[in-house]
Amino acid sequence: MGQVLFNGIYTGVQYSLIALGLTLIFSLMNVLNFAHGQLYVLGGFVTYYVYGGMKLPFFVALLASALTLAAVGCLFQIFLFRRVMRRSVREESSMLLSAGTAMMIESLVLIFFGEKHRGVPAVVSGVYELGGVFIPRGRLLVIGLSFLFIVAFILFMRYTKPGRALRAMAQDPETASLMGVNTARYAILGWALAAMLAGMAGAILVPISGVNSGLGNWISIKTFIMIMTGGAGAISGAIAGGLALGMVESLGYHFFPGGETYLIIFIGLIAFLAVRPNGLMGKAV
Amino acid sequence: MYLEARDLHVAYDCVMALRGVSVALDRGEIVTLIGANGAGKTSILRAITALKPLESGSILFDGEPIDRLSTVEIVARGIVMAPEGRHVFPLMTVKDNLMMGAFLRKDRAGIAESLDMVLALFPRLRERIAQTAGTMSGGEQQMLVIGRGLMAKPRLLLLDEPSLGVAPIFVQEIARAIVDINREEKVSIILVEQNSRMALKISHRAYVLVTGKIVLEGNSSAIRRDERVRHAYLGGNVE
Repeated sequence: MGQVLFNGIYTGVQYSLIALGLTLIFSLMNVLNFAHGQLYVLGGFVTYYVYGGMKLPFFVALLASALTLAAVGCLFQIFLFRRVMRRSVREESSMLLSAGTAMMIESLVLIFFGEKHRGVPAVVSGVYELGGVFIPRGRLLVIGLSFLFIVAFILFMRYTKPGRALRAMAQDPETASLMGVNTARYAILGWALAAMLAGMAGAILVPISGVNSGLGNWISIKTFIMIMTGGAGAISGAIAGGLALGMVESLGYHFFPGGETYLIIFIGLIAFLAVRPNGLMGKAV
Repeated sequence: MYLEARDLHVAYDCVMALRGVSVALDRGEIVTLIGANGAGKTSILRAITALKPLESGSILFDGEPIDRLSTVEIVARGIVMAPEGRHVFPLMTVKDNLMMGAFLRKDRAGIAESLDMVLALFPRLRERIAQTAGTMSGGEQQMLVIGRGLMAKPRLLLLDEPSLGVAPIFVQEIARAIVDINREEKVSIILVEQNSRMALKISHRAYVLVTGKIVLEGNSSAIRRDERVRHAYLGGNVE
């Protein structure tokens, strides 16, 4: 059972990290970003290229993934979402656009990196054993890094001036502009941060799980489950949703080694949303 | 004139909200805009702060045209709007809300000074400094919105219905604070109000709006005493 718990935490913290970016974009821009999983995949491939291919240190690769994805996030907002949202009268336009960008990234990844599942050498090797629970050091590193990034993000949002401006904008964009917040500029910052978080999550997982071009949609769907259970738009909700899904998944794979786990998760999700349509932390809209 | 808005036309979904409104304010004045719901009072404030683009018209502030500037640029020039009280940042603490008001300022000492001034003006905010803004009463939220506006160290403060949704005992407290802000902090104020009784009492001059046009302007004390005005435009609820 200890092993199940460890695996749950291991999966849960990386899920939380992935969910943070999605919830940030959702709360800031009211955009449900279907391309979030593809951003994760892209981050993974940058690390595959820099760490696995160019043989540079892992942390250089992680930094490269973060910066590349931040740049992609900026470009998304400046050249795609800003234009479409300025002109469109319907909210679905932004959803359609994000679904389109998901296909675009997936195709670009396929062109540049191929369809193969790619892995890289482990960053750290070795396994600890603690009372019958196997704790691979590589996974401990993933937990540590995910936790570090999550805490850094929370501190940034809570205690810095740009973080406060982003929160203000999520709660009331027009009033934020009356405070002097340049909302167009902060929308770009929000996209950069969200894409960066997805990319870093992708990067730290390549050494363990590897990455392939087709993973994106599955990651996006999992992320939607997390923010739906946690409550869309709330940071605490993203973290709770991520940890919950990680734990449920770990339990599921333990008791149902076949393919039933996600069938059960989806049925459970439907039942859960029937009782709590706004999720665990979600506010009633 | 410190602020001069000339011949403003504003439309919402092809319906004219303002049909040639001109409003002016001298430095140090409290000017009030009164009239029924939907008369266009708030539209004037939204036009001044560039939240709503003008169909036509011009706005001068301190001798310079501001009608082509963005909201952020207008705030940077010292024109600060305190919207209705429900526009607090509901999930932030009172302190974070107030600090958002000082978003464009860099002078740390000055910000601390403004915070002291605001908390002295509204002692209730000091009591609730760590509370989440969305959980406060209507009156407290109005105080917070006004206090947040003051944190920007405005030269001209635009107040949108500060008595809306406020319990009668708090209305007096807010009215007193508005007078204090004007006298002690030397802030010029445009006050949009439905509570014309309170607004006419504390303002120097007033404009009365009916469906997007100004039908009357003059000294607040004179308008307050004018029986015909009361019956014609203010629903007889003045005094």
